[in-house]
Amino acid sequence: MQRRTVLKAGLGLASLPLLSRFGYAADQKPVSFWYESATPENQEALQKLLVEGFNAAHPDQLLSIDVRGSDLDKQLRVAMLSGTGPDVVFTAGPSYVAAMAQAGQLLPLDDYAQKLGWNERVLPLFLDLGRYNGKLYALAKTYETLGLFYNKTLFAANNWKAPTTIAELEALADEMKSKGIVPFAAGNADWRPANEWHFSIAMNAIAGPENVYKALTGAIPWTDPAFIAVVDKLAEWWDKGYYGDNYFSLTLEQSFAQLATGQAGMGPTGTWSFTNVPTYFPQNNAEPGFAGFPSASGDPIFPLGIGSTLSVNAQSANADGAAAVLDYMFSDRFYSEMNSVWQGEWNLPLADLSQVKLADSVLPLYTESMKQLASAVGAGNYGYTTWTFLPPATNTYLVSGLEEVWLKKTSTTDFLKKLDETFRQEKDAGKVPAVPPRA
Amino acid sequence: MHRLYIVPTMIINIVIVAIPALLTIVLAFYNWDGISTPTFAGLDNFRALAADRVFWTSLGNNLIWTLLFLTVPILMGLLAASMLLIVRRGSNLFQVVYFIPVVIATAITARVWQGMIYSPVTGVFGILQKYGMPIPNPLTQPHLALFGVATVDLWHWWGFLCVIFFAALRQVPQEQIEAARLEGATYFQMMRYVLLPGIWPTITLMMIMTVIWSFLAFDFVYIMTQGGPAFSSELMSTLAYRKAFYDLNVGQAAAAALVISFFGLVGTYFYVRIQTREGEQ
Repeated sequence: MQRRTVLKAGLGLASLPLLSRFGYAADQKPVSFWYESATPENQEALQKLLVEGFNAAHPDQLLSIDVRGSDLDKQLRVAMLSGTGPDVVFTAGPSYVAAMAQAGQLLPLDDYAQKLGWNERVLPLFLDLGRYNGKLYALAKTYETLGLFYNKTLFAANNWKAPTTIAELEALADEMKSKGIVPFAAGNADWRPANEWHFSIAMNAIAGPENVYKALTGAIPWTDPAFIAVVDKLAEWWDKGYYGDNYFSLTLEQSFAQLATGQAGMGPTGTWSFTNVPTYFPQNNAEPGFAGFPSASGDPIFPLGIGSTLSVNAQSANADGAAAVLDYMFSDRFYSEMNSVWQGEWNLPLADLSQVKLADSVLPLYTESMKQLASAVGAGNYGYTTWTFLPPATNTYLVSGLEEVWLKKTSTTDFLKKLDETFRQEKDAGKVPAVPPRA
Repeated sequence: MHRLYIVPTMIINIVIVAIPALLTIVLAFYNWDGISTPTFAGLDNFRALAADRVFWTSLGNNLIWTLLFLTVPILMGLLAASMLLIVRRGSNLFQVVYFIPVVIATAITARVWQGMIYSPVTGVFGILQKYGMPIPNPLTQPHLALFGVATVDLWHWWGFLCVIFFAALRQVPQEQIEAARLEGATYFQMMRYVLLPGIWPTITLMMIMTVIWSFLAFDFVYIMTQGGPAFSSELMSTLAYRKAFYDLNVGQAAAAALVISFFGLVGTYFYVRIQTREGEQ
């Protein structure tokens, strides 16, 4: 009797994971989507705008989102390797897509793109960036750029204007230093790869996108004098104290707060920082400004970054449902609704933003900056970010290697030599993400 | 029939320990990005590690870490445990106080030290700086970062050793302690001739385990510095993690893991030898 009770209890427990399957209505097909970290407010937005919105528009499908946290990438890799994982696959960028597509874990999306009209709706450059061996495997979920945030109120009080050339930037930074203001609001205590933002900014502003393109395609090495000038300039800015004394101690948010309080003057960071503007600027009675980072020529260059991508699992039992989710996201309505409550993470690369209507509460500066970026990309006048265009090992070496240059543990030439060696090894192994030809 | 009792533990050990361990050994000889099909690489992964100066930095850091943990917390633990033995009043309270850091989750301890103590903006160090004491955040200084993290781990760890040593000290025959007292032994004589010899097996075991644990150290470094700045606090385990999950080079990560295991095996060998000798006695 006792043994039978134990047996029943065991069977009952073992069947628990299957219970959710019985929860679906007979005519609804489940679609699973694993998401990375999201605050409670953002999770609510996902639930309301994506899950409920999609399920209402597709009565035959049942989308569910599982928020997996910052370890999503590792969990996903293990799951995909064992032939499971979610139907909608969220990756951290094109370099992951290349490896997954190479291993046959992602479904080619060309037929869906044709059938559902993505080829017309998505900016062509982003379709190129999602291709591997000529087939479309991923759509960019969010694209972003790097630029210069500044405190307009502080600038007005000092009669400063946003710099457009490197010489102007340096003159302004020196003046800020003489007034006891840290020129660059920057820190990497909670996100060490923040170093690569500074590298990406400098390589586009100083070496120029053409040289970066040549290096990415292997036409010139990373040890080219153009890149020596980039690293030397970054080292010079570090030595002159432009990044402040607390770069390794400050978190991204703390450094951004210093920009709002006027302790720091300019913030060389990405459009994701717009999310921190409402938290810090109004309470300090300050107005934010955002401009393209100064360049050698004086024309702003917008380095293009893809924060994450979306694909369909090759093992998915409901690939049509997963493609329908992607299709739902790439619509004017979803773009408008999501970006009205959550800016920076859902900047989907729609080709035409004229039908997009954001809520009045959204900073006009954000809308303006995104439109500027979209038109720069549309005109082919964009730069490159390391996390989007460099293969994984080259990129991780860059993060620590730049610190070694800053802290005088290695020289510019040795750093670039190792960067180039690592890049060549990964290029030979086919791990360099797609680099579309320049217009 | 009674042999069947070992089946559940055997299954757990084979599935959770033996198979992953064997796979790690095999993967150390393969090129694998963790996604596509592995290809045989012979000794390439070991050669690449040997040529990588970060590997040698992290190995050196692991040795420094081991030396620190073989001395500081053991001395602190012994001192506090012997005090608890001599001054019995309030010893229960002190045991609890010493043990609290051990039970606090690593992530919380690390974040508290990082944000509330070391930070120049939100921490005690920041307040000290405002009052004219220019103490830098150790986590940001290449020559101090490893020690900055080790301090936090030591704070978290030494209470455990104290409680273990106190438990062992209480097993030392009371008549020996009384006799030493009657003979007029000082504190140091008592430690040297009575207490330390009485708990020597426990100290040896803890030292061997410290060697093994030191090569497995990962959490505090990963949370507080991620091996930086400029690789200055990189340990073998954080190197392996970075290789596997950031560089997508699982083969080299497995090779680094084998090096960690080698030091663990040396520790285990001495542990087993001592245990066997004690068993024979």
